Amino acid sequence: MSNHTDTEFERKAREAFDASVDAVDAHTSSQLNRARQVALAALDRRDHSMLRAWLPAGALAAAAAMVLLMWQSPNVSVTPDDVAAGAAIAELPASDEDLDLVTEDPEFYAWSAQQASLVTNGTG
Amino acid sequence: MKGFDTLDFASVARLADAEPATQEEARLDQARALDRFLAEVEKRAFRIAQMAVRDRDDALDIVQGAMLRLARNYAQRPSEEWKPLFYRILYNGIRDWQRRSAVRSRIFSIWPSGSRGDDEEPTDPYEHVADNLPEPSRRLMADEAMQRLESAVEALPARQREAFVLRCLEGMDVAQTAAAMGCSEGSVKTHYFRALNALRQQLGEAWGP
Repeated sequence: MSNHTDTEFERKAREAFDASVDAVDAHTSSQLNRARQVALAALDRRDHSMLRAWLPAGALAAAAAMVLLMWQSPNVSVTPDDVAAGAAIAELPASDEDLDLVTEDPEFYAWSAQQASLVTNGTG
Repeated sequence: MKGFDTLDFASVARLADAEPATQEEARLDQARALDRFLAEVEKRAFRIAQMAVRDRDDALDIVQGAMLRLARNYAQRPSEEWKPLFYRILYNGIRDWQRRSAVRSRIFSIWPSGSRGDDEEPTDPYEHVADNLPEPSRRLMADEAMQRLESAVEALPARQREAFVLRCLEGMDVAQTAAAMGCSEGSVKTHYFRALNALRQQLGEAWGP
């Protein structure tokens, strides 16, 4: 609220504005209500999309770290097949569309993770 | 130790479950608080946008955009910050609309008049719905007063207009108005003082000192 004493002019101006707000018609009120519901629905989507935004980056970083480990480790002999497998693993989901694939085809990504562990253990 | 004797697996499981439930409650509380806030300001914001752009549908679009942006980007902020943030977003939307409108009118000024695509207005299903409004004579007087005020406010420079709307019509204090306008409190006081003086001159003595 205002922290000074309102003049007569300010009081009248506010009253006129308040009356015009009260006079907003039913159709507009209904549309505003709907707009508010859309905005509130965005709250849920925001939580979900934040997770979706960070997942690809995390998956990509993990895959890159794994490929780097494969190259650096002296106990593991890296064959061209291993490199190809690493490259496939590096193609982890990097977009929202790819993430939909993760949920639709979890077996592929389970297999992909298994391949990754075989390569790092030097058994693949 | 007695404390550990009583801490069975069920208790541990309950403790582990408590956190997500609290998070969910906090999320619901936040959604309810935001719903209340938006319900309080939506009509006022609509009227402010309508005064600025003079078009009902565009005003609705601007308010909807402001609500969405607040929910998406600033819902996590303390609720005391929502009001200045919301009005800042709203005025950004109004300024964007005014910029686009200026560009459009420049383009259409060189465009053949027959190709503007003036389609027939769709039928409004709410056209005959009764509104819960004040009696006609009071409404007429209020309408006239508001029309005079709107015309006078429209003639103000943009920053004076914002200061007057937020400070006087929305009842925000100087600090909130400064946050909403993205300027110093001193600037708000200056803009507001000039706006009041200009409006008093425009509207005359009938509106009071």
